[in-house]
Amino acid sequence: MPKLTAMMIVRDEADRYLTRCLAALTELVDEIVILDDASEDATPEICLSFSRVRLHRKQSSLFFHDEAALRRELWDLVCATAPEWILALDADEFLEPRAVAELPYLLNQNYFQVIGFRLFDCWFNENYFRVDGLWNPWLRGFAPYLVKYQSHLSPQWPSLKFHCGRFPLAYRRLPRLESDLRIKHLGWLSQEDLQKKYQRAVEHDPEGLYFSRAHYESILYPREKVVLQAWLEQNSMW
Amino acid sequence: MKKVALLTTNFFHPTQDRIIMGGAERYQVDLCRLLKELGYQVEVWQIGEGWVKEFDGVKIRSIPVNKSKYNTYLELNTAFYENSMSFDYVIYFILPLAYPIAREKSIAISHGVFWDWPGFEAVAGSQEERREWLRRMSISLAGPSKLVSVDTNTINFFNATLHNYYHKWEYIPNYVDTEIFKPIDREKNNEDEKVRVLFPRRLVPVRGINETMRAAEILTKRYPWIEFHFCGRGHDDNIEKLMSEWIGKQERCYYYWKPFEMMPYIFQQADIVLIPSRSTEGTSLSALEAMACGKPVIAGLAGGLSDLVLPGYNGYLIKPTVSNLVEAIEELARNKEKRRLMGKRGREIALTFDKKIWCQRWAKIINEVFR
Repeated sequence: MPKLTAMMIVRDEADRYLTRCLAALTELVDEIVILDDASEDATPEICLSFSRVRLHRKQSSLFFHDEAALRRELWDLVCATAPEWILALDADEFLEPRAVAELPYLLNQNYFQVIGFRLFDCWFNENYFRVDGLWNPWLRGFAPYLVKYQSHLSPQWPSLKFHCGRFPLAYRRLPRLESDLRIKHLGWLSQEDLQKKYQRAVEHDPEGLYFSRAHYESILYPREKVVLQAWLEQNSMW
Repeated sequence: MKKVALLTTNFFHPTQDRIIMGGAERYQVDLCRLLKELGYQVEVWQIGEGWVKEFDGVKIRSIPVNKSKYNTYLELNTAFYENSMSFDYVIYFILPLAYPIAREKSIAISHGVFWDWPGFEAVAGSQEERREWLRRMSISLAGPSKLVSVDTNTINFFNATLHNYYHKWEYIPNYVDTEIFKPIDREKNNEDEKVRVLFPRRLVPVRGINETMRAAEILTKRYPWIEFHFCGRGHDDNIEKLMSEWIGKQERCYYYWKPFEMMPYIFQQADIVLIPSRSTEGTSLSALEAMACGKPVIAGLAGGLSDLVLPGYNGYLIKPTVSNLVEAIEELARNKEKRRLMGKRGREIALTFDKKIWCQRWAKIINEVFR
């Protein structure tokens, strides 16, 4: 089985989903390379309690000033570990449980070096995901989350500081296998998270260059304006 | 090293990164691999905006043309003809691509009759248009040294229509790697006696998706032990969205798609496999894969499926209406012994379509033409 390395940026995740996320990843991957962006809570200790984690720590936070630089730094740290396949998930994202059985098929195939998944934004609670407007996971396409490392490809990153992606540009230009494995994203569940993310979006993108202002406003929609679809587990299909 | 150019229409989507590895795409990748094994350098040319990409170690160039009339591609063909002179040999991956002019040492491939699709009326419906289409097809057949067909249906059509190409036709049916696609003893793992019906096709109307969904609604209500598995991509995001919504309202219906490497496992877990196409079929790779895994196949009466399925022997050939599907599925679902026997026979038939034989047949044609 090819080696699989997860990479992740974390910051103050102790009271969020970090423990659960690392436990899930431990079932899936051989190594977890984490770059801690100057957490002020118990995040580093939690990371170090998992034996597969290789933790790197920044003394001062970079995420809110230059996300791209931080992502690039993490990429360089992973490249130094002789990786084969690299999975880029955030600490509030979960590949569904059947990935344990199905991921090996993706890693062993040799047609594609990049695998895309659909991201499902859970809303209000974990059993529902959002489907109104640009939130609909069925209609907004697949993003690359898993790549086969290739030392000859350029590590160049887009110059964007926000919405800068998780992999170097060269990987994003490769043909992509679109997998039906879903990523469950819990980052929008709490009111506190919604407020924080809304503030960050409008501060970093006041002109609405990446997404429309209307989309950012929809982050704070009241319950009756949000359209949901049930998350059906697909663990035991056979 | 001698160079082969393979001309196709859309391996990659012309303007997007989207690529779906269906039967034709896999055929192309396997043919390119074979050519490389035989010592040729291969490049693929297709419609696009002038980009160059790579897939499976083969360079794919695009030609910025997009016009098509009667499913023929005059601009693409002539641009390719003028620009591919540094290549020694050519494969026209789809038959009409050899119109209006073919390179001297070339082979054209038919993947099955596509003009049985009712929508073809809109492409060339009138008598005059049909005559012009046939004239162009005749020119496509005239140029290449050899014509390879994946089924006997295409050859029979042309022999009855354009008699003069009888000697050019070679029948090389599609293939299955019978070492990868092989039966397992599912009885051991199936204590609950569930019967799983698998639809391993893209979600498009001519593949019988709508009839199968209706049949699934009827049969899952009738039998608490039956399951329907829909395994295939939609041709756009919205179709997959609608399918997921429909699945959410059904009992014991599942929707997913899997990488090729996982498909043997998917077929092995099924009890009955549906290939209920209404048209545009050749010798379906999925049908062969199901047979190689020892499964009975319920196939539509279309294209080359009758080259694979002997009705009543290793499955059924039906006009895939809802009622015919329900009847055929019911017949097999309620008779385990029949499923077992038909599956066993299907495996025996599939062995004669083994990929090694396909490689040998292709190598022979290539050696005859590319010299």
